[in-house]
Amino acid sequence: MVVNLETKKIPAGRIAEDKVLRFSVGERISHWVHAISFFVLLFTGLGVLSVFFQPAMSIIGGVQVAMVIHRVSAIVFVVVVGMMFFIGNPRYHWRWLKFVFNFTKSDWQHVSAFPKEFFGGHGNYPAPDKFNGGEKINSLITILGTVFITLSGVVMWFASSFPPALVRWAYPVHDLSMILMTAAVIGHMYLGLLHPDSRAAMSGMINGYVSTKFARAHHGDWLERLEQEQKAYDDSEIINHRLDNRGKGSSF
Amino acid sequence: MTRKMVLVDTSKCTGCKACSVACKEWNELPAEKTKLITSYQTHKDFTTKTWTYMTFLEKYEKQSMNWLMRKAQCFHCADPACLKACSSNAIAKTESGFVVIDQEKCTGCGYCVENCPFGVPKVDPIKKKAYKCTGCIERVENNLLPACVYTCQPGALSFGERDAMLGQAKDRLAKVQKTHPKAQLYGEKEMGGTTFLYLLLDSPEVYGLPINPTIPLSLTLWKDVIRPVGGIAVGGAAAAVVIGVFANLFRGNYRQSDEKVENDSGDSDRKKGGKD
Repeated sequence: MVVNLETKKIPAGRIAEDKVLRFSVGERISHWVHAISFFVLLFTGLGVLSVFFQPAMSIIGGVQVAMVIHRVSAIVFVVVVGMMFFIGNPRYHWRWLKFVFNFTKSDWQHVSAFPKEFFGGHGNYPAPDKFNGGEKINSLITILGTVFITLSGVVMWFASSFPPALVRWAYPVHDLSMILMTAAVIGHMYLGLLHPDSRAAMSGMINGYVSTKFARAHHGDWLERLEQEQKAYDDSEIINHRLDNRGKGSSF
Repeated sequence: MTRKMVLVDTSKCTGCKACSVACKEWNELPAEKTKLITSYQTHKDFTTKTWTYMTFLEKYEKQSMNWLMRKAQCFHCADPACLKACSSNAIAKTESGFVVIDQEKCTGCGYCVENCPFGVPKVDPIKKKAYKCTGCIERVENNLLPACVYTCQPGALSFGERDAMLGQAKDRLAKVQKTHPKAQLYGEKEMGGTTFLYLLLDSPEVYGLPINPTIPLSLTLWKDVIRPVGGIAVGGAAAAVVIGVFANLFRGNYRQSDEKVENDSGDSDRKKGGKD
């Protein structure tokens, strides 16, 4: 099923010479809108939540302004990313969900071997698919954290419309979601920006492509599958359009 | 200053509402348009400008009516949920036992509003500040009675040292129970012992008061468990990253990875993540 989805519509062109398309434009928009609004929300939210961060709110004009920015960016955080699941080419978004909610045995093997690699060593685990166990956990924390922080946030925003007992529970839920996502994003940024091996993945979130070398080393199963699909597609192209040369298949 | 107490003896209350007028006057709170709620009651709830009001309840039993009146205001808990919930350290407890909000520090987040088991604090949506009864702390600390106590004509409100007042309340209860067998004290143990302690003529639930008011479990979980554990989790993640950077530096992985980008043919990377 996953395989079919991946090859539909854009069967060729995912592998271009020494690089391979990992994230679609839509995925990258979602990621960065989510990332930027998350940090705006974190900054303004901490100003409301804690006296330690309150003085920093003078940068944006005080706690009251922070509360307004918090709500505006909350809408961006939820609505824009939510919309990306339905507009443009949302197939990638749904397939990502399918991947991360399918946590396999080899993902566990990756997760248990990964701490070694996190601190610069080498872990042994089966070649992961498009997402490895750690990436799936990061995605799951982000998805569940977003759902819970959004629901509790709605309750807190419209507190007078909800029973007090529900509002009282919304506070710890909102806080816990924030804590989990903040802890996750710290590790996420380290692996994306500072970790000598995995930071090669960063280009995937910038121009969409990662090097085939990186893909082979970190997502071997995924690259292998793409190569087979591309080959199968190219072969069928030759049969169907004998006059077309092979170059066309991979050039668009 | 020692712990003080206000005894609200509802058996002596006549429902004249002078206390709420005195409160408005001393605290310079403007009058609000009111309408009849039930019986003689004209305020439904606290507002940012109404810190105390009278509740009236007509209870019919055995073909006679019991007119239950209660002066409602902040209880000034010894163990206040609002103080625990406040995110900007704007709520404090005085030695005399009064719980006060510092509007300078208040950001109007409303966490106190939602967590108070009695629904006392209210946030002004324009000023973005929470307001409630101050216990006339500025009067108390200058050896004056709170405005409501000072004005009470039938002697339903009395003010003094907590220990002495508590004894007085128990003596009075023994007398009142002869005519009102269900009469009881409310606030002796509740919320750690409240500074405004009631002698009620019936059970608290008849007055619409919680029988066993507590700090909400969600609040304890939030402030005493999630907050400290979460701090450790975020701090741990940050520490792991710092250690990770240094570990990679120490192992020379940064230089190595730069070389890889330049020279490697790709296959040598298979050792990482590959099936050996």
